Amino acid sequence: MSDKKLCAAIAIAGAFATAVALAETAKAANDQEKCFGVSLKGKNDCAAGPGTSCAGTSKTNYQGDAWKYVPKGTCTSIVTPKGKGSLEPISH
Amino acid sequence: MTISADFDQGAFVRALLDPELPPPNELETPGGFRPERRFAVYRNNVCVGLVDALAERFPICLQLVGDEFFRAMAQCYVRERLPRTPMLFEYGDAFATFVSNFKPARELPYLPDVARLEYAVGAAYHAADAAPLPLELIRALPLDRLESATAVLHPSTQVVASAYPIVSIWRRHMSDEKMKPLELDRGEEALVVRPELAISVSPLPSGGSDFVDALRSGGTFGEAVNAATAVAMDFKLTDCLRELLLTGVFVAVSVAH
Repeated sequence: MSDKKLCAAIAIAGAFATAVALAETAKAANDQEKCFGVSLKGKNDCAAGPGTSCAGTSKTNYQGDAWKYVPKGTCTSIVTPKGKGSLEPISH
Repeated sequence: MTISADFDQGAFVRALLDPELPPPNELETPGGFRPERRFAVYRNNVCVGLVDALAERFPICLQLVGDEFFRAMAQCYVRERLPRTPMLFEYGDAFATFVSNFKPARELPYLPDVARLEYAVGAAYHAADAAPLPLELIRALPLDRLESATAVLHPSTQVVASAYPIVSIWRRHMSDEKMKPLELDRGEEALVVRPELAISVSPLPSGGSDFVDALRSGGTFGEAVNAATAVAMDFKLTDCLRELLLTGVFVAVSVAH
């Protein structure tokens, strides 16, 4: 390996190690979880019951079988007029 | 309104786009009742439908120029370019180029790049799924051999480089964030990815889009760094990698033995 290539390899290894550490810290703060029963009509990220299968298909506000991504750890503390958010589908 | 199977499609399309032209000859209406009136309704619906599709596809451009201007501009685009495929989500692929040549929009020089970014967002939204490589696995890679390693990027990965701050413009219009003055002459390179179901639009350091393009075309990390530093002498590799790792761009990394 030439000196120049070795330098590049060391620089890339160092940058990667630092970047992974930075990303892990930032990710811990950003982690998301699927939260059922909190999305507004048509604003769900996915799953809105049999027959419909994806984003933006929920028919009512806070539909129990539609979920939305929320920051990790916050789902069950979200309070809607129909009750709290849930990590599992709920039937209102 | 019925049409026989062997009609002249070219003439039909011409009549569809030009309200001055009579309806196609093959057109039959019940009792021969005023085909031009019925065709005018159809012509209008086609145009309105496609303009609506563009408005959905380019919501920030719409906000930037206002509803009236956007719809007028979109109508010109529709006349110039009907959909090439039956997939409406692909419609608008030439909109950014059209906007850059659209004289009334010259006062907003950043508008074509915002359109380019919005098209990338839509393309990312409809791209195939792939599981990003977990950070634990990336940490376990032999980092000293990454220089000659290649990567598979998430299929939704898009980059858009601009001489204008397109990421800042996009973000401000997507949120209710309070508007702060923008330095318009500061360019930004946008990274668009959809690692799970939500679109992520973030700025890459200068040279970042060349870095991503080099990796995407099969280059090694070493070659990608060279490509980036060729356009940006002070390319910030760590910042760039942090953003790529955070947005789940890497689906696989293969280290040569």
